[in-house]
Amino acid sequence: MTKIFKKNPVQSNSSPVNLSSPHLLSIEGMSKLEIQNLLNRADYFANLDRHSDIKNLSGYVILNVFFENSTRTRVSFELAARRLGAEVINISLTNSSIKKGESLLDTASTLNAMKPDVLIVRHPHSGAPSLFAEYLDCSIVNAGDGRHEHPTQALLDALTIRRRIGYLEGLKVSICGDIANSRVARSNIHLLTIMGAEVRCIAPPTLMPAHLEKFGVKCYYDMREGIKDADVVMLLRLQNERMSGTESPSQREYFKFFGLDEEKLSLANPNAVIMHPGPMNRGVEIASALADDADRSLIKTQVEMGVAIRMATIEALNHTRYYNLEKQI
Amino acid sequence: MTQIIFKSIRVINPATSYDEISDVIIKKNKIVSILKNVNSDTLVKKDKTIIYDCNGLSMAPGIIDMRVNLGKTENLELTQKIAVQHGITSMVVLPNQTPRLDNPSIIDHLHRQSENDHLPLVKVFGAATKDFEGLEMAELGLMSEMGAVGFTNGNISIKNSLVMRRIMSYAAMINQPIIQHAEDADLSGLSEASTTSIKGEMNEGETSTRLGLIGIPSCAEVMIIERDLRLAELTGVHYHVAHVSTREAVDVIRHAKKRGMKITCDTAPPYFSLNETALKGYDTAFKISPPLRSEDDRLAIIEGIRDGTIDAIASDHRARSKDTKIQPFSAASVGACGIETLFLLTLELVHKNIINIIKALSMITINPAKLLKIEKPSVQENKDATFFIFNEHITNKINQKEMETSPTPFDGRVVKGKILGTFIKGHASFIDQTFNERIIK
Repeated sequence: MTKIFKKNPVQSNSSPVNLSSPHLLSIEGMSKLEIQNLLNRADYFANLDRHSDIKNLSGYVILNVFFENSTRTRVSFELAARRLGAEVINISLTNSSIKKGESLLDTASTLNAMKPDVLIVRHPHSGAPSLFAEYLDCSIVNAGDGRHEHPTQALLDALTIRRRIGYLEGLKVSICGDIANSRVARSNIHLLTIMGAEVRCIAPPTLMPAHLEKFGVKCYYDMREGIKDADVVMLLRLQNERMSGTESPSQREYFKFFGLDEEKLSLANPNAVIMHPGPMNRGVEIASALADDADRSLIKTQVEMGVAIRMATIEALNHTRYYNLEKQI
Repeated sequence: MTQIIFKSIRVINPATSYDEISDVIIKKNKIVSILKNVNSDTLVKKDKTIIYDCNGLSMAPGIIDMRVNLGKTENLELTQKIAVQHGITSMVVLPNQTPRLDNPSIIDHLHRQSENDHLPLVKVFGAATKDFEGLEMAELGLMSEMGAVGFTNGNISIKNSLVMRRIMSYAAMINQPIIQHAEDADLSGLSEASTTSIKGEMNEGETSTRLGLIGIPSCAEVMIIERDLRLAELTGVHYHVAHVSTREAVDVIRHAKKRGMKITCDTAPPYFSLNETALKGYDTAFKISPPLRSEDDRLAIIEGIRDGTIDAIASDHRARSKDTKIQPFSAASVGACGIETLFLLTLELVHKNIINIIKALSMITINPAKLLKIEKPSVQENKDATFFIFNEHITNKINQKEMETSPTPFDGRVVKGKILGTFIKGHASFIDQTFNERIIK
């Protein structure tokens, strides 16, 4: 049965958001209202003409500290900070001080001594941003930690869906791929369940984490079953090294059972949209033609919304910190 | 000749099931008498006597801590000195230290190095295989002659079934136990040959999924125990499972004991006091091996303690430096300290009415002695005056900042009990200031 989405008038928020914490470490623990406020504010930024940006963070210093290679997330954060008028410094630590044997905390406190306002951290180990938050004075944004969370990705995914469909509550969202090793999946599961969407997870058992049902989602090993009537199909990236007989026998076998193609997609809601956090493996997770289908694929919109979400996040964290400081005084 | 009288002290002695308020008189290194209502005035005249008013205090035989990791950096003498302040008068060290305890001369050296009448007696588990590689049998016989009390590969499971069979049959010949750290290394992703980058970090379950940490399924423990039981049956060895942490393991051991097998096991305080949800904030003090398990497993461990399936409680002390612990969880070292909290958390089982005090003390004194065939500590006339004195009612908060080893998984926990003194062969190896105030002048 065809379901036609009715666009709800989405609120946009013209003032900075106040959060309960000066850090954004995970979606788990956030309230529905906080998420809604951030989405509204990001929606406002997304509608803004790029040249009429508010430069209300002029004089602020944002450090992009990436312990893992990244292009899109780093650039997205950088752009967001610049559009708010802040100074941005990019630090790639994949091969400098780590190799010199400096401890993570020493690296962090060195950076802290430079008095940044926000530290944006990506780290291969789950929980590393929490360690930063514990020992540093500035606000920490988790830009992806190990297999734990990637909160801004989930927020931008939510904004993308909301701008296309109009709402999140009650939507059927199927997340398919390497759930076990995906921080994107975890953040999305938390966010979508908080917002009242119906989340289904599809993966072979080798890539499904333990007790995922306890998160309030339904788990499927059969993609056809999991995708049935879905409003949103979210695909996750699969690392090639997991495809050589460890978690999946081969790329072609994976694509046969868990790759998104026309035939499987035909079981979803005819208006279903396709999302992918990127970078994509064409022909593994998704048939190439579908990725390029401008009507159904929101992949490029996701990237665009990333900047708006990160603007809202950076602004909110600074706002929260100084608002709290003022309250203390 | 100086004698010391402990006046009106509650003597709790598991070896004789004695639990009475008595006066204990020690002279030189021996307990001379345990009596009721000694007339201290008459004694003072005869000899130079120190009398402690021990009203409200208890005395128990010295603790045997049957599992202490010294690792690469721990100083043996310092560990002995800390241990004695916490009622420990004997400790068994694991072979996985530097240098490795895998030949008789190094064991002899360690015995000599640790010899001190005023400090805890150090016993040794010898390495079961050369270099812990689990391939070639170490010199079990020679190490046994040198005083090793059992054989183990420390915190590594002996994986190869043929090697295990040979070690077991050889150990059976020399009448020594094999102590196994039961964990299937392949399943836990801890094996070198693991096909993926996945390396187990905590118990597998909802919490591991939430935290994005790699889970070790709880069956990794029982799988090894089940295999080992077959081999133990084949060889007739005394098989001992170290730090049991799961329900399945307790069930299998209980069943094997009912069948009359020579199997024993121990656990450590974290496994009956904490569960996996403690890891929620990525606190690396909770990164231990085996990992903290589910609440259901914790309850099963308690049940195993209660019904006698679990024979002993050991500290499983594995102190780690702050540098290796203030790290992201995945990069942090494995292990937590334990000698400073072993007694307090064992006593907690009594305060929670899980077991009685005689049983609790048995698990840290006579039970380890029995299964390692070392002399049973006993507060008894004509025995060595090796015991500790404690107040079971003082409320205390475990505070990492006041401790000498780290990291403790029990920081901030409120416990009841305080050790006031430890005597080894009549020597006051540790006396708390408040205990000295009890001397009757």
